[in-house]
Amino acid sequence: MRKIAPYALLGIALFVGAWLSFEFFGPKTPLPRYANASIGGDFKLNSVDGEQSLSDFRGEVVLVYFGFMSCPDVCPTSMAVMKQAINQLNEAERAKVRGIFISVDPQRDTVDELNAYTQYFSDRIFGMTGSKEQIDAVVKQYGAYYKFVQLDDSALGYTVDHSARIYLIDPEGQLADILAHDINPAELHAKIAAYF
Amino acid sequence: MKYLATALLLSASLANAADLNFSDARARAVPPTADISAAFMTVTNNADSAVAMVSAESSIAETVELHTNSMVDGKMKMRRIAQIDIDANAKVELKPGGLHVMFIGLKKPLVMGETVDLKINLSDGTSQELQLPIVHIEPMMKKMNH
Repeated sequence: MRKIAPYALLGIALFVGAWLSFEFFGPKTPLPRYANASIGGDFKLNSVDGEQSLSDFRGEVVLVYFGFMSCPDVCPTSMAVMKQAINQLNEAERAKVRGIFISVDPQRDTVDELNAYTQYFSDRIFGMTGSKEQIDAVVKQYGAYYKFVQLDDSALGYTVDHSARIYLIDPEGQLADILAHDINPAELHAKIAAYF
Repeated sequence: MKYLATALLLSASLANAADLNFSDARARAVPPTADISAAFMTVTNNADSAVAMVSAESSIAETVELHTNSMVDGKMKMRRIAQIDIDANAKVELKPGGLHVMFIGLKKPLVMGETVDLKINLSDGTSQELQLPIVHIEPMMKKMNH
């Protein structure tokens, strides 16, 4: 009987681990609204219009994405997904939706360059960044992840490992969905349109 | 008979050269402020021996490298790789989310509708020079089934 206990414990731990992994990193099904959870919430960062808070955009559906400009593939893809979803909206709806690309790499990404980058994809996507402390706070709030990795073998110097998710925030400022960065744009559009 | 001999000779000399077919090669258009971009393609190796893409060059960028993306535990990681191997009689896809050629230090913007040169150096000492169209690389809007 004594020999079984550690294995049973291991089994339970593995099961819980697998279940948690599935919940957070599994198929691209949307997660339920975090009504009472501590995930999400207001934040303050810099934009081309100066310091802004998420709460400044109450009444809008906000799509938040964490990335960096020296990301040649995943981030442009995410921007393209957001752009395509937004372009499916009618004029009135578009005015009440915004995308926010938060750069976790303020050393390389200035707010002006960031905004020029996002506006290239859509006039409804804006760039924001801040100090490391500000960024870390928002990243933590949203359960996102990023890590600077030195690349001694690349002219890049360093890259950033990061979770690649689109955070859908409802018009009340609540985090409503966490979506894969390469979600089918039609699906993303449907989720946004549901608020109108 | 003369032509057969020539053909045989030619095919013999080419037997040691890479027999690669590059298709669907394209470079991603990016905002004028961008300093980096990527190129994708499908590489088919028609030879009976493996070959690798070992380096690349382009007039549009200071450095061109081979990179790959991998999703590990929900985290997207991009790393430089030394080469891209293509097995005998097999193909490799460089596509968004995975393997790609990375342009670092763009000397001028990659503008949609233009083309960019890309020279790929192979493990057998040969090179392939390509002209890539610059396009918006975006996911397809798939129809929703309800």
